Amino acid sequence: MRFHVVKRDNCPLWKKLGLYLLAVAVALTLGGLVLLALDVDPMAYYSRMFTMGMVGNKIAYKTFENYLKVFVPLALTSVALSLAFKMRFWNIGGEGQFILGAIAAATVAFKLGSALPAPLTLILMCLAAMLAAGLYGALVAVLKVKFGTNETLMTLMLNYIALYFVTFLGETQADWNFFLDKTSVRPIFASFAKTVSFPRIPMGKFGLNICVILTFLIGILVFIYLKYTKHGYEIAVVGDSVGTARYAGMKVDRIVLRTVFLSACLIGLASAFKVGTAGVLSTSITDDVGWTGIIVAWLSQLNTAAIFVVSALIGVLHYGSTVAAATFARVDSSFANMLQGVILFLVLAADFYTRFKIVPVQKGGNSHGNG
Amino acid sequence: MAEQYAIEMRGITKTFGSVVANHDISLNLRKGEILALLGENGSGKTTLMNMLSGIYKPDAGEILVEGKPAAIDSPEDAKKLGIGMVHQHFKLVDVFSAADNIWMGKEKAGFRLKKSRYAEIGRMVKKFGFELDPQKLVRNMAVSEKQTLEIIKVLYYGAKVIILDEPTAVLTVQEIEKLFRVLHRMRDEGHSIIIITHKLNEVMELSDRVAILRKGEYITTVNTAETNEQELTEWMVGRKIDLNIQRPPMEKARPLLEIRDLTIRSDEGATAIDHVNFYIRGGEILGVAGIAGCGQKELCEAIAGLRPVQSGLMIHKGDNIVGLSPKAILEKGISMSFIPEDRLGMGLAPSLSITDNMILKNYSQAKGPFVDRKGGRADAEHVIRELEVVTPSADTPVRRLSGGNVQKVLLGREIKAGPNVIVTAYPVRGLDINSSYAIYNILNQQKKDGVGILFVGEDLDVMMALCDKILVLCHGKVMGVVHADKTTKEELGLMMTGALDLSHKYMDKPAGYARDTNITAEELEKLAQTKEQEEK
Repeated sequence: MRFHVVKRDNCPLWKKLGLYLLAVAVALTLGGLVLLALDVDPMAYYSRMFTMGMVGNKIAYKTFENYLKVFVPLALTSVALSLAFKMRFWNIGGEGQFILGAIAAATVAFKLGSALPAPLTLILMCLAAMLAAGLYGALVAVLKVKFGTNETLMTLMLNYIALYFVTFLGETQADWNFFLDKTSVRPIFASFAKTVSFPRIPMGKFGLNICVILTFLIGILVFIYLKYTKHGYEIAVVGDSVGTARYAGMKVDRIVLRTVFLSACLIGLASAFKVGTAGVLSTSITDDVGWTGIIVAWLSQLNTAAIFVVSALIGVLHYGSTVAAATFARVDSSFANMLQGVILFLVLAADFYTRFKIVPVQKGGNSHGNG
Repeated sequence: MAEQYAIEMRGITKTFGSVVANHDISLNLRKGEILALLGENGSGKTTLMNMLSGIYKPDAGEILVEGKPAAIDSPEDAKKLGIGMVHQHFKLVDVFSAADNIWMGKEKAGFRLKKSRYAEIGRMVKKFGFELDPQKLVRNMAVSEKQTLEIIKVLYYGAKVIILDEPTAVLTVQEIEKLFRVLHRMRDEGHSIIIITHKLNEVMELSDRVAILRKGEYITTVNTAETNEQELTEWMVGRKIDLNIQRPPMEKARPLLEIRDLTIRSDEGATAIDHVNFYIRGGEILGVAGIAGCGQKELCEAIAGLRPVQSGLMIHKGDNIVGLSPKAILEKGISMSFIPEDRLGMGLAPSLSITDNMILKNYSQAKGPFVDRKGGRADAEHVIRELEVVTPSADTPVRRLSGGNVQKVLLGREIKAGPNVIVTAYPVRGLDINSSYAIYNILNQQKKDGVGILFVGEDLDVMMALCDKILVLCHGKVMGVVHADKTTKEELGLMMTGALDLSHKYMDKPAGYARDTNITAEELEKLAQTKEQEEK
């Protein structure tokens, strides 16, 4: 019997979701095998990971607050990246833009935090971060528009420049370096949490950080922007066919610059949220959201609503694994990264089956020859 | 005993999703015959042949080669069975020489590239009676040379059965005659040939038998000598059809668009359009004939403002439009639609819906920051109804539509905007008879409304029937402007290859100058000055 691949017609949504769930289940099973090899009970580990240790925990609200701290930058970065991806501009420089935004926000906090009222400082932090990240992203867009450089390579390389810059700031003790804690002998970043921090809306013991609300709000705005505005329409056309966009009289260069700037700005805002909540700079400030955001944006197929769902789930994976690592010392928290990779791989495989099916070749058919 | 065929296909079915490309098709190819496979676009000719050459696998049915069942899983299998296909889009490596293109697919070619390969392939070329330099790089070849190379390649691999997919689409009249001579000789040497086409005159001239497909179904096979064009059309289309193209006579109007001494560079910086003159009157269709890549694309792009002009004038209703932005030219009522080879590259955004494509050129006119999809949807539904576009809905992405419907959407949008000049390149490229005639009717209707139409085409028969005048380009130069009803195919063919230059046929003025020009003396003087400077 011979088999071959055949195109599938419109795959119903329930089948699609079923296939994706199956992919996740298979990924978890594979992860379970690794856990078994480490002599850890997979069920116990997974239940701890997926509940993030909140069940039977007196300070579960605290856990959820911390989880949201992971969720907000990831969701916002993914939304920002989807803007550029929709235009088929492969911005993989989320990391670098995030770091630069964080440095700018921290600078404002250190320099103006003690002089200005807190709300004003926070707004200035956001604006500074957006500007810094936006320009860092727009630089690549300018080079692409002017000289036709490859944005994937450029954004990738700029990531490392930003990373080594923040490392340099973190390791250089000098009079000018206001980022470091002056009282410490070893070079460590100073905290500004006491002067400025994003406010929380108290709901009983639980405090809802204002960043969460803002993130959802921006998500809705981006959704409308992409779907209903002229700008969003231009992004879709440029992404689909640059030739057609020019033909329609669009100023393609301007659209590319504008969209990339906006995309990077939102990444900067995500970093301001992160820094403004943590109250301290760090070399690992990004938490890899620049990378993970790419995966989230693709898993959601650039659908803004789906991005929120997927980043919530990936957030559970990441934060849950850190929590579980406390109980299961044998399993490092980077287990989440491995699991995330396997899930991405299998979901992409499932995607293939939503578009194709494999069927056996049939023999026969009526013969009415022309001889 | 039953006759043994070179190829027997039995009950072949192939589906792509819900689209049945081939349904239960049976086809036999005799040894040493030329079989024409005739059918409209989308009737499944190429799909069927791709299954013979191992590119697709049938869902059902079997293939017999020399009477023995064969499993053709890959082009490699087809090659071993002696089946070779010359595709419509050539499969050649541009930076390789002719010999290396053949060599790389050869079995037991050895690890080392030997010098002797040129001599060996040169001998081979002579043996089959072709002319081709084995050392010439593919990228330096003309289209007809590339096709020759493809045929030699297939023969070199020892093909007994040769399939050609629309081989004449890219050739001039003279080159077609040469190709037909080659095919006849190959047949006489014992090769079996299948030629895919939808051109009836070629079928009549070339083939021994004709097999007809319609909408993925096998209709019949007849001996060419016992049939005629009318009968074949009816089988192909499924009903009687009038094969005459209308050419409504019109009153002479003032020139709408005048091109004077226009020079344009190609992407590579070479001169694509070389001091070209022509004009279009309102209510006139001016055809542009020329071998593919003779500057047609650059000319269309320049008129639409998408390509910078080196020198010359483009006068639209008395205003020079050189240097204006695409948007400004659009607003003057000049519409350009170019159907490239992939049919989607310019003018449409393939992943976007019909509605979204409708608003492409006027989305910015909506008030406020939002796009007006309501108006776009109404326009889309109007075009779908008026031009009989086959689509599930106005929200269907354009890429899901078949070629004819894509082109109707494009032309529908252009006409809806109410232009006064329509530049259209290859509007019937790859369309079946029905859709082509629908497009000709649309253009004629526009002509009656007083629109000036520049029709860049490839089928000389069509252009001679539809256009009022035909401008012939050869390597970016005008070879002359002739009246479509007074010229012959041979004359056009000679002009296209540059063998005949009629650009100074009339003593008093060069071809393409309007007697009642709108160009002012001042502008002409300026033009003459720049020309003088150029010559210095």
